[in-house]
Amino acid sequence: MEINVKKKPDLEFQAFYVFFLIASIQIGVGILGVPRIVYLEAEHDGWISILLSYFYIVLVVWTMIYILRQYKNADILGIQVDLFGKWIGKILGTIYLIYFTIGLLSILITYIEVVKVYIFPDMDNYILGGLLLILAIYTVLGGIRIVVGVCFIFFFLTQWVHLLLIQPILNFDILHFQPVLKASFNEIVSGAKSTSYTMMGFELLFFIYPFIQNKQKTNKATQTAIGFSAAKTLVLTVVAIGYFNASQLTRREWPVLDLYKLQTFSFVERFDYVVVAEWMMVVIPNIVIFMWVITYGAKRLFQISQKTTLYIVAIILFICIILISDHFFIHKIIDLSSAIGLWIVYVYPFLLLPWVWIKNRSRKRKGNEKHAKA
Amino acid sequence: MRGSGSNDKNIFPMKIEELEKLLKNRFENNPDLSFTVYDHENKKIAVFFISYIVETQWVHESLVKTLLEGNEPWTNKAILNNIPLAEAEKKKKLQELLDGLLIGKVFVYIEGEDAALSYLLLKKEKRSLVQAETESLVLGPKVGFTESLITNLNMIRWNIRSENLVMEKYTVGKQEPREVRLVYIKSVANTSDINTMRQRLTELDIDNVDDSSVLMQYLEDSSRSIFPQFLSTELPDRFCYSISRGRIGVLVENSPTSIIAPSTFFSFFESTEDLYMRWNVGSFLRILRYLSFLLSTLLTPIYVSVVTFHYEIIPTSLLVNLGQSRAAVPFPPILEVLILELLIELLRESGARLPTKVGQTIGIVGGVVIGTAAVEAGITSNVLLIVVALSALASFTAPNYLMGTTARLIRFPMIFLAGTLGIVGIVYGMSFLVVHLLKLTSLGRPYLAPIYPFRWEDLNKVIFRLPNDFQNKRFISYRPKKAIRYSKKDARKKRDIDE
Repeated sequence: MEINVKKKPDLEFQAFYVFFLIASIQIGVGILGVPRIVYLEAEHDGWISILLSYFYIVLVVWTMIYILRQYKNADILGIQVDLFGKWIGKILGTIYLIYFTIGLLSILITYIEVVKVYIFPDMDNYILGGLLLILAIYTVLGGIRIVVGVCFIFFFLTQWVHLLLIQPILNFDILHFQPVLKASFNEIVSGAKSTSYTMMGFELLFFIYPFIQNKQKTNKATQTAIGFSAAKTLVLTVVAIGYFNASQLTRREWPVLDLYKLQTFSFVERFDYVVVAEWMMVVIPNIVIFMWVITYGAKRLFQISQKTTLYIVAIILFICIILISDHFFIHKIIDLSSAIGLWIVYVYPFLLLPWVWIKNRSRKRKGNEKHAKA
Repeated sequence: MRGSGSNDKNIFPMKIEELEKLLKNRFENNPDLSFTVYDHENKKIAVFFISYIVETQWVHESLVKTLLEGNEPWTNKAILNNIPLAEAEKKKKLQELLDGLLIGKVFVYIEGEDAALSYLLLKKEKRSLVQAETESLVLGPKVGFTESLITNLNMIRWNIRSENLVMEKYTVGKQEPREVRLVYIKSVANTSDINTMRQRLTELDIDNVDDSSVLMQYLEDSSRSIFPQFLSTELPDRFCYSISRGRIGVLVENSPTSIIAPSTFFSFFESTEDLYMRWNVGSFLRILRYLSFLLSTLLTPIYVSVVTFHYEIIPTSLLVNLGQSRAAVPFPPILEVLILELLIELLRESGARLPTKVGQTIGIVGGVVIGTAAVEAGITSNVLLIVVALSALASFTAPNYLMGTTARLIRFPMIFLAGTLGIVGIVYGMSFLVVHLLKLTSLGRPYLAPIYPFRWEDLNKVIFRLPNDFQNKRFISYRPKKAIRYSKKDARKKRDIDE
């Protein structure tokens, strides 16, 4: 397996688009429930937890970019093979792909559940699941450029939703936040940990890095993206805590959707219906990116054609969607996804760092010896 | 039988009787082939042409008269020097003779010579210039292209008086060859785009092309898509506007519709009028057109989804009205909508096919009488009538007829999605549409061009229009050779107050 990725130059995209890729994959279905999850752990100091997790993520992203910059044009799959050899490298790569598949499944079933709870209680899972998978296949068949385009356009098509927050912000109660720092440090940290599922997605950088045209700007774009997502999460959490009281917040599975419900106009009364439907445009970029990464990863690792992986993964997901409709089982999958993610996304880059250093040093030494001999 | 071996051989010199036999045989004794043999100074001279596509008067006056009145023994050289006609050519092959006869050439052959002489004396019936029917403008030149290629080229030349204007000639169609012109401005148009178009035109392997609209479908990137990828227009004004901005035009003989490529989704909503108006009025009209595209595709689906599944969305006061209006209707909303949409489509199609005066009457009869009657009979609701009429009206605002019809058709899958999945279905349909548009290309250039790939400078040419001092660049998504039109500095000289 080649460590550096060889690709046609017309597949490359500007670093500017990395912002939209990372921002759209981070904001998915997780954000709908985040105020409640954080509140359960850190109560009204949840906003500190989100800030904490943001600072941690800044460090992780910085490490990731540092690792990537040690190579000319490599992705994590190539780097792992370079560091740990062919077998272990490929096994680690496969773990990544399995993690992405589970993540994709969790997004699909969560969104379908949201639609079922809010709009169509009697709908069968396979209808919406099948439609979404067809759209995903159709998009991924267009390749990375189309995937990036979908993220870019859908990002703008979904931002109007935030205008609906004006009403809850007007009814905001600052007293809900007092006294500050009532939660212990441990509670705040576990609150930060509970946001991990929502904030995940920036590990994508490990895979798209070779496709970025002006790589020196990657750091700026990625940091802006995670800053944007963290700000979004923070605002939603703060508004939710400020608007709902404790019992209201803990009883709601997706408090964010209830925030969007408050604004009414003379022609539309219940905006949550519209938002739930509109949220599909938030979910589609997620599905599409994950799907692309899985197909591309399989091609890199096992030289399977992307089309084959695409169809196989779609069929597997479709079967899983039909089988899974139990609420608690869905939660188990989300928990599984966030548990694997916690290690892969938040801890693994730091473990990788010393290996990269060692490898670099030995490579330099070898280079010097060669140089001396020559 | 083009290109078969015997036609490409040199047939001259041959006996005149043999030549006559050969030609008559080829034309299956067609009575229109005029083949006359003159005896002059002991030499046989044959003059042959197809009578009604040739200016017969010119043949008699300039050709035959000079031939018969002269005293010298005629040779090819002598004819060339004495006949007062330009565009003379020597033809030696049978195929050249056959092709020449069909496009209005007159041939002269002197027995014993090694070539026949041809003169182009074609006579073509053509209509005069009139206002374009399918695209109408309020401001600006209104004349439309005609079926005559020469007239069209003439109009373009008068519009763009630049030595850089190139009109390459191609022949398309194996069985019925037809002249096709590739028009572009050498100093502006992108070279790789020109080459792509050239390649597509030369590699086209079909028996005949019926019209430029048919040729367009052969040339397009994806002929399966519902969206047109090349712009077609009847207005020389619009054609030249596009050409001078670095796009490539294609004109087809006998077709009043020209093709412009590459195009983006947004160029179908662009009218030259936007330039002729003030910038703010132009911007307003352009945004209105995008809005009406959305309205015409989404309004009825939204009605279906809201009435079928989500009445909670509608505020109570509005819901009461809607409920009263729908109370008498026995059908489910989707059926109600389909009936009325079908009615509108029928009206529209019959209006387009009938002569103008009758068409208007049908419109009034259909719109007013049938509409009111349908509501009174309890087949549809009042509100729906407004919704359907509005969306039909909106689909007319697209300056391009092809895009208008596309919007008409997209509505139906949307209605079905709305009828089965409600508002979720509508969002799904929109998403699918966006992905589809993203995947389309026009001449290899992205169809959603200034939006994705994103180009900030181009937005003011597409979504809205800024005053002229911001318009110093061409549409750079098409990568023209010269991106700058004029210097921005000169356009915006800053002056102090009271200077």
